[in-house]
Amino acid sequence: MEATKRKALLVDITQCVGCKACELKCKEVHGFPEEPATKLNDTTFTFVDERAGGKFVRRMCQHCNEPACASVCPVGAIEKLPEGPVVYNGKKCIGCRYCMIACPNEVPKYQWSKLAPYMRKCDMCADRVRNGQPTNCTEACPVGATIFGDRDAMLKEARKRLDSDPNYVQHIYGQDEFGGTSVLFISDVPFEKLGFLVPKAEKPLPALSAAALADVPTVTFVGGSLLAGLYWITQRRREVMIAEGKLKAESHEERS
Amino acid sequence: MSRLLKHLTLWRVLSAAIIIAGIYGAYVRFFVGWQASTHLSDAQPWGVWVGVGTLCGVALSAGGFAISAAVHLLGMERYRPVVKASVLISFLGYCTVCVGYLYELGLPWNMWRIFINWNRHSVLFEVAGCVILYTTVLTLEFCPNLIAKLPWVRLREGILHYEHKLAIALALIGTVLSSMHQSFLGGLFLIMQDKMYPLWYSQYIHTMFYMSALPAGLAVVIMVMYLSMRSLGAKIDYSILTDLAKVIVPMLYIYGIFRFIDLINHDGLKYMFQFRSETAYFWTEILLLVVLPIIGYSMPRVRNNPKALYWTSAVLAMGVITNRVNVSITSLEWFTHANYVPSWIEMVLMLACFVVAGIVFRLCVLYLDIFPRAQKRERWLSTPATA
Repeated sequence: MEATKRKALLVDITQCVGCKACELKCKEVHGFPEEPATKLNDTTFTFVDERAGGKFVRRMCQHCNEPACASVCPVGAIEKLPEGPVVYNGKKCIGCRYCMIACPNEVPKYQWSKLAPYMRKCDMCADRVRNGQPTNCTEACPVGATIFGDRDAMLKEARKRLDSDPNYVQHIYGQDEFGGTSVLFISDVPFEKLGFLVPKAEKPLPALSAAALADVPTVTFVGGSLLAGLYWITQRRREVMIAEGKLKAESHEERS
Repeated sequence: MSRLLKHLTLWRVLSAAIIIAGIYGAYVRFFVGWQASTHLSDAQPWGVWVGVGTLCGVALSAGGFAISAAVHLLGMERYRPVVKASVLISFLGYCTVCVGYLYELGLPWNMWRIFINWNRHSVLFEVAGCVILYTTVLTLEFCPNLIAKLPWVRLREGILHYEHKLAIALALIGTVLSSMHQSFLGGLFLIMQDKMYPLWYSQYIHTMFYMSALPAGLAVVIMVMYLSMRSLGAKIDYSILTDLAKVIVPMLYIYGIFRFIDLINHDGLKYMFQFRSETAYFWTEILLLVVLPIIGYSMPRVRNNPKALYWTSAVLAMGVITNRVNVSITSLEWFTHANYVPSWIEMVLMLACFVVAGIVFRLCVLYLDIFPRAQKRERWLSTPATA
């Protein structure tokens, strides 16, 4: 799938007025109880986090281009769609919760109150996005603080805003973080002060496990051959010793 | 009545209490819910069931593959008398881990998905695959003990005829599979670079899991053999255990040095002396896992004293448990602020599985030929004194 098809959200933190329309719309669409939230949970896929200095930051799944959650899922229940959304298929899920612990932003949440709990998180309104429609939260935003479009166009728009106003922090959060994400943020306050995680490395997280997994065939083959070789040597030494009469054939005694 | 009372030893009462509590715990976990049975939360999705039940369950069961590789592949006949016991320990350990997953997973009835929905990018998939295969290998390695008790002579001899050849192949496959998943249990944490406290995160964490699992597995063999000698009348040459202890020492040196160099490479030295709770957990771990066992095992006075050897091994096992708990729980605390303390049901349900494994071990020793025993006629519920 060509990269141009990939969609993204652009959140301009300078424009957010904290009205929580996105949060409420999301809850309404999913039929969740409409209580104000202060953190993500199994009935809150996005919420508006009020930070010191009157800044409002939308918290939600970043929809990484190379998601840690999807890479760690042993049964492949999480998938990155070419259009951008990272979606979850509960039918495959076994409930190991590795996605929850692997996500650097602690986005996947669990239905702890249920006897058959599933993982829950924002799916970037995948059905709408597939049809070229913007996400519900984008439509709900009365001031255009969240906008939706092709990822390339969103990056261009973000760059334009950063260039036109020096008050912006000259950084698009999500352009490169975690190997790039489908939710981009721009702000006039440093991101780390707004509770954003500054990743230790910009390369996608799945690369960290992939490096170790790539060694598996080599280690298996070399290690297996080495062991087989050692076995052959010990057997050979044993045979020689038996032939030389130093060891009785049936004896299990230790050879020096 | 007095006959019955004689059987009521402290350990039997304690075991029964833990099992009953465990059954109640399982009821709460499956029929009341997660919030009633565990202290897990969105901030703490993995607790002791993963940190101890899985990570330690597997690490402490490493003795089986280590001893069978040593005897079957490397020709160290010295350890042949403890092969069967080590395989039995591992077999029961892995069974415990597999049973543990029935209550650890949120949707255990979907477990079979792992057979058809493969995600080869997932370290957990590799671990699950290896654990399933290796448990099969252990089952095959354990089977001859049961087959040897078959009343049909020709069938029995027919099967056991192939046992020796099979044992070597199984030891080889088992070693490769074990090496893979022992290390990949550490590999699970490779992806958590941003979340883990620097004292524990390492891009070689999988290597270190492997290097610490080996001595831990051997220490458990020492412990179990000591207890078997004491309470099951095992007739095993004690010097086998002291030799195992001697083998563990260089392993611990290598682990300690590797860990230290790795900390230097990660620029982790500056975290070693900060005034934080992590520092205390770290040093407890190093003390139990590396320092104390090396000192203990290196002293002939300790090695030649069965009780002291047992307790040194127990300290090493505790060290590995501390390490796994630190990696999977402590190291994330600064990031998640979960303030996790396991619930009593989490603890008791897990403990009950280990207790059942212990009882099955005892039954196997009493009814099968795991190792030669002094009191041949002793059976279940007969006290050693009356035998």
